[in-house]
Amino acid sequence: MASPNEIKKNVVIQDAQGLWVVSEFQHVNPGKGGSFVRTRMKNIQSGKVLERTFKSAETIDLVAVDHRRMQFLYKDQSGYTFMDNENYEQATMSEEDVGEQGKYLREGLEVHITAYEGKPLAVELPKKMAFKVIEAPEVVAGNTASGGNMTKEVTLEGDLKIRAPMFIKAGEEIIVNTETGEYVERAK
Amino acid sequence: MSLPRLKLRSQVVKRMRQFFDERGYLEVQTPRLVGLPGQEPYLEPMWSSVREQDGATYKAALISSPEYAMKRLLGNDLDKIYDLGPCFRNEEPWDVTHDPEFLMLEWYRKQIGIQALMDETEELVRFVSSQVEAPQAPYLPIGPFRRLTVSEAMKLYANMDLLPLLGDREKMSEVCRLHEQSVQETDTWDDLFFKLFLSEVEPYLGWNQDHSKCQPTFLWNYPLSMAALAKANSIDERFALRAELYIGDLELSDGFAELTDSVEQRKRFQEEQALRRSLGKEVWPIDERFMEALPRMGNAAGMAFGVDRLVMLLAGTDSISDVMPIPVRKRF
Repeated sequence: MASPNEIKKNVVIQDAQGLWVVSEFQHVNPGKGGSFVRTRMKNIQSGKVLERTFKSAETIDLVAVDHRRMQFLYKDQSGYTFMDNENYEQATMSEEDVGEQGKYLREGLEVHITAYEGKPLAVELPKKMAFKVIEAPEVVAGNTASGGNMTKEVTLEGDLKIRAPMFIKAGEEIIVNTETGEYVERAK
Repeated sequence: MSLPRLKLRSQVVKRMRQFFDERGYLEVQTPRLVGLPGQEPYLEPMWSSVREQDGATYKAALISSPEYAMKRLLGNDLDKIYDLGPCFRNEEPWDVTHDPEFLMLEWYRKQIGIQALMDETEELVRFVSSQVEAPQAPYLPIGPFRRLTVSEAMKLYANMDLLPLLGDREKMSEVCRLHEQSVQETDTWDDLFFKLFLSEVEPYLGWNQDHSKCQPTFLWNYPLSMAALAKANSIDERFALRAELYIGDLELSDGFAELTDSVEQRKRFQEEQALRRSLGKEVWPIDERFMEALPRMGNAAGMAFGVDRLVMLLAGTDSISDVMPIPVRKRF
């Protein structure tokens, strides 16, 4: 038995409906209420996604999972295939399980994979990743004068599109926050 | 912390003072260190002690809110007062919205009700937002603030009728199970309410329908069990005149049409003490000086407002450490 205060991203909770992997969590103290942990979690067997809130004082069942360092190899019809850096074992995750993060995966990228009994459940990317800018619209004269926080859409390698400041040009490298999908800074 | 944010923070504080000064409020500087702090069951004061030169020692705590002191002042013929200063809360998470020492604005005004209190809060946010330079504020509230009662919000976001569930723990457990929340034997009605509210309502309150823009929203008319120091709604006494403001992901303020009935207040304090005991927490005596001043306070409403969180919105950041001169992790 464990406390909801031990909940972190990618922990696995067991209840009557099976195993749930936590994708998001937040401690909340509503005014005049106790303390709670709000989670978003996904059922490993059924794929169902749920928002569930636990009272900090209750007990939950946390299941032991493995955290493996793996390298992304390739994507094909069966999904994304990764390789364990230590024992060269390969594992494949469906496009749905990888979700939004799939767009950041590039061949050879090292990621953390949460696995339960050999089955990969969740991918954790480096929080900041560098990408080369492939396409960036030229700034029209006069646009820059209206303030320092104007942005434009740029295309990165892998056909990734994000908002970046006006001064970013094609050919440069920029850092992207993979959790928020936002521009961070120019790569040094 | 960056210099532009430090300057923004300073501007916000100045404009808040200007707002209340121009409206004839008196700034009161109530004590930070007191003998009997608030005893809300889920707030923990920071304890210390004070010694006189001759060795006489008093137990003391840093306040979690200036509420008691301000109400004592209201009992002394003051009718429009505000306090702007740090407050302290122990045993809270050190996360993106909490710092154990935070800046709180609290104000009280006699002879107004909960609707006028919400009006004044909205005017304050609009005034401060329009007066500071905040080019990075994607969350700058522009449109009218929405007002939803707790019942309306539960209906709108969780599709449930709150009224038939009030006070009925069994029915509330059934609804929680239907909504796939975990139900524990030890859960009170309030716990079950919060499980639903925090999962299905609260994350959406401060946003427009497709979650693309902030929609400042007052949530008001709380079930009486969550009344704290608010008085009951005379139209339906199962509810209390309490209002909270949400903008984006942040809860910015919490206010009440104040309870002035000292018999009812004593009853609520005793219930809070009982709850603290049952949670294995320390209990201290009721502040009798506060109780004595309460009947003289008259009809009043008051709001507690998290200044750091407004600065976060105006700075366009989602972490309180970005707007603190020295973030908590770099202080301890």
